[in-house]
Amino acid sequence: MQQASISEFFEKNKHFLGFDTLQRSIITAVKESVDNSLDACEEARYLPTIEIEIHKVPGKSDELLMISQDNGPGIPPDAITRVFGSLLFGSRFHTIRQTRGQQGIGITGVVMYSQLTTGKHTHVISKVEKEATAVHLNIGLDTKKNKAISSNRKREHWFNAEGELIPHGVRVEARMKAKYQRGKQSVYQYLRMTSIVNPHASISFRVFDEGGAVIDGGDWPRVTDVLPTPVKEIRPHPHGLEIGSLQRFLRESDERKMTSFLRRNFSGVSMRAARDILARAEIDEARRPTTVKAEEAQGLLAAFRQVRIMPPPTDCLSPIEDLLIKKGLSKAIDSRFVSTITRSPTVASGNPFQVEVGLIFGIDMPADGPVEVLRFANRVPLMYQQGGCLLTKAIESVDWKKYGLDHPGGRGIPKGPAAILIHLASTNVQFTSEAKEAVSDNEEVLGEFRLALQEVGRGLRSHKRKSKQREKAKEKFELVNVILPAISEKVSAILGREEPPLAPVISNIMNAVFLEETTEWDPAEKVTRCSFQMFNYTPRPRQYTLLATWPEREGIEIVDESREGKREAKGLRKWKMDTLPPGENVTVSFALDGLTKGDWTEFEVFFRGAGDIIGATKLDEKLLEEIRREEEAGIERQDLLSTEGDEEFSTGELDEVAPDADGTSAVVQSPDEESRADGGADAETAQREASEVTGQSNLNDWRVGE
Amino acid sequence: MSEGKTTDDVVESLHGVAQEMHDRMLKGTAPTMTLPVRTKKNIEFDKRLGVYKYGKKRTVRDATSLRSARQLLRALHIIEFIEEMIDAGKSSTLREMYYISEGWGHGKFGNQNESNNLAEDLEIVTKCMREDFKLRPEEDGSRMIGNMTINERNRRGEWMRINARDDVGDSGYGVPYNVESEKLELVEHDVDFIMAIETGGMFDRLVENGFDEDFRAGLLHLKGQPARSTRRILKRMNEEWNLPIVVFLDGDPWSFRIFASIAYGAIKTAHISEYLATPSATYLGITADDILAYDLPSDDLSNKDIEALKAELTDPRFADGWWQQQIKMMLDTGKKAEQQSLAKYGLDYVTDTYLPEKLADLGLS
Ligand SMILES: Nc1ncnc2c1ncn2[C@@H]1O[C@H](COP(=O)(O)OP(=O)(O)OP(=O)(O)O)[C@@H](O)[C@H]1O
Ligand SMILES: [Mg+2]
Repeated sequence: MQQASISEFFEKNKHFLGFDTLQRSIITAVKESVDNSLDACEEARYLPTIEIEIHKVPGKSDELLMISQDNGPGIPPDAITRVFGSLLFGSRFHTIRQTRGQQGIGITGVVMYSQLTTGKHTHVISKVEKEATAVHLNIGLDTKKNKAISSNRKREHWFNAEGELIPHGVRVEARMKAKYQRGKQSVYQYLRMTSIVNPHASISFRVFDEGGAVIDGGDWPRVTDVLPTPVKEIRPHPHGLEIGSLQRFLRESDERKMTSFLRRNFSGVSMRAARDILARAEIDEARRPTTVKAEEAQGLLAAFRQVRIMPPPTDCLSPIEDLLIKKGLSKAIDSRFVSTITRSPTVASGNPFQVEVGLIFGIDMPADGPVEVLRFANRVPLMYQQGGCLLTKAIESVDWKKYGLDHPGGRGIPKGPAAILIHLASTNVQFTSEAKEAVSDNEEVLGEFRLALQEVGRGLRSHKRKSKQREKAKEKFELVNVILPAISEKVSAILGREEPPLAPVISNIMNAVFLEETTEWDPAEKVTRCSFQMFNYTPRPRQYTLLATWPEREGIEIVDESREGKREAKGLRKWKMDTLPPGENVTVSFALDGLTKGDWTEFEVFFRGAGDIIGATKLDEKLLEEIRREEEAGIERQDLLSTEGDEEFSTGELDEVAPDADGTSAVVQSPDEESRADGGADAETAQREASEVTGQSNLNDWRVGE
Repeated sequence: MSEGKTTDDVVESLHGVAQEMHDRMLKGTAPTMTLPVRTKKNIEFDKRLGVYKYGKKRTVRDATSLRSARQLLRALHIIEFIEEMIDAGKSSTLREMYYISEGWGHGKFGNQNESNNLAEDLEIVTKCMREDFKLRPEEDGSRMIGNMTINERNRRGEWMRINARDDVGDSGYGVPYNVESEKLELVEHDVDFIMAIETGGMFDRLVENGFDEDFRAGLLHLKGQPARSTRRILKRMNEEWNLPIVVFLDGDPWSFRIFASIAYGAIKTAHISEYLATPSATYLGITADDILAYDLPSDDLSNKDIEALKAELTDPRFADGWWQQQIKMMLDTGKKAEQQSLAKYGLDYVTDTYLPEKLADLGLS
């Protein structure tokens, strides 16, 4: 590229590169840096600490200096210049995985923009752990030779403000034409949203005026030490493939035969499927991929659709997870109620995806305006084009009135002092434009979001109902425990008579069974203590089975159970209670190990038995069945995926094995498998003994928090 | 007022309230307090007394809700408090009782309205008067001007003779909260009728214009919704002096209610209507016709006004044809007017033209 062409390139693409306005340019620069820092830390398994500074440049009203620093792995010295100075140098160009950075344009774009608007080079410091010193250098672009040039490169120790050596990390300082502002589309909002979906990151932000005084900023400390689960790279799935990419794969393949080409390049293609595909596409199994012509590739693509291919694995996704969403939301918004849900991963046209939703009621949020919509795709905040985005449409499509939110005319964004977080995790997020501002329409994704939103809606509704019930129970308790005895005492004093026995009066007044539940963090034992107490204020003995919700998942255990319970379904514990005589009460307590403070602050109690319990909900057996079905479907899904893993292990050797010897193919290609996503798999065939194995939770929204 | 009740009678009827609660609890059920329904649905015309009284509908306040239970407890505290005052020969104001209730723990009142209402409830259930309970209101009493002579017993227990024209300043004679014969005697008068006036501004206008002397009238300022003592003194002047009572109010739905409470009895105090209501009182104005006939500056009815008027249409006290016609006319025109809107025609218009014309209709001038 000549200088002209670099400028041209920028001119042409500045919208999708994110440098089309001065206000947006600074957001983009910060975003590219922060995305890279988060990606790098996640990959290297470091808990990120990220500092962002913006300085107004003295004497230049439209110039800013952006400084970003992370504690990530650093960049190997020989790669630094390429990372910052050449386009399309991403580390993961050919793999499919859910990461923020996808294209290898990001940070180079910042360097280019900086040079084109101010003529300045970008200053970079990078330190990798195993080397003693850090690399300090300036990076610019040689506009004649069209390549990155570095200057002032030196190796030096790198100290922080306290004079301590910095063990590893990257610092970027770039000057650019830009304007800082607050508002819905701002660096501040971008960082706030980023902190919500990255509860494991500490982010601090400062803006300085020309004189060096701090004029704006924010601090979003880390609220969990749990890093997002490392994502696996997966091969593309034939159903998500476009002709262009297929041709590229064919051209670049060094496989000798089409069968191995299909099996090694794509996920979900078994030996039998590969042969079936090739037969339908009328391509010889032994053909060399490089010899396949364009029309033949087209035929191959068509054949993909006709053959049953196992869906891609979904462990390449990195959801935030409901409990962490709750933490992330709570650190940015002071809340009264939070309900979050992470749905199980699913697949749409060959692309695994997973949706997550959180609903939070804020304390100081405006009650009369629309709720704040916080959109994310692969943990990256989406700040533009809200109206045209699938995520917004999903929110608008739900009948919020049903769940107790103000939703005038059932249209648009509901109103209330709340925020809705909506996250799409996918290996292939489809955007409406290259600027990646809005997710484009997709029926399957919309459907998943609607289910998730309805579930948090139900959470809200039941929370409201419960608050009311609790209020009512509290009043009744005060009535019989405080006021009634006082009446009895006063009456008797006035009349000079003996006090009447109150027990019969009390059961007459209450005439109900009450249940009160409490959840407390026990700082000494580091467990969450839950308990509920049931009072029989009826004239007859009562017998119930009680069930409590808990966040069942790996690493969380029920301990200290005061009465032995049983697992009823995922996230549902059951206690068969003894008959409770009139006037008596009983308490069940248990503790949850493996959570941290604030993870779990409210649970729900269900009951089986005759008559109502104020403070508990009659168990909906239909809902329970559904939970069980989903759970079993989840197990089967896991099962299927692990089979694929085995197969992957032995690829190559299996090439010549007869299809029937492929022991897994019968399961893999069961006719039900396509409809698996909606839990349609035959539950009875799922392995019972595996019933404790849990996949991604579908039931995560059991009322987290208040 | 409730002649012939000894303190023993009072204590006994109060104990009746406690007795009901005790009996219920002995039976193993929630304690209760039974009292008449105090809404317009339960007021009936008492032919013998010529006023509206509570009907037979009873409501049972039982301790099955926290609110009602608290009410019962408070009632018991009041009963105990009254007994103590009777024993000690003391009395207190309703406001004082409200403050004293601070020390009643769970029996304390949320606001003074609650304690006033509960004292009223007890009056109704026991058929005693609050004077029997040694409770005094702080209601702002009315004032009177005109050639009327009254004996009032002062704080030292001496009778003072006051003429409400010669012995008072421009603000007139202040009517005390207790206007019963032990406190106040109606001595003599030289007037032809009593005019009760809603607003202070109009009262002062008539005084300044010398209306009381020119028209041989006794003027009384109601101060809005009239206090019990105001209604009581009107009734006594009507009965003992045989004077007609005319009522001069704003022309709006709320004035209609004020009139009804003077003439027929108020819903809140229907248990003692026979002491407070003056059935022969007449509504002088401002009527719905006046607004049109005198082309008075008027305001549009608010939604609340319209609601109030509609409620009045079904209020038994406004069942007669003239009232039904007035209310409907006001609803039709959608207009209301203040007394002082007569000033449109000059300060003297009310005394020179309007009142003489209206009084002439009634045969009073
Ligand atoms: N702060 C950092 N710490 C460690 N490695 C980094 C850092 N920033 C960039 N890199 C490396 O440089 C590569 C290129 O970054 P770049 O932002 O140009 O592209 P990308 O993140 O892969 O894709 P995108 O264009 O979507 O941002 C990254 O993939 C990563 O390997
Ligand atoms: Mg990047």
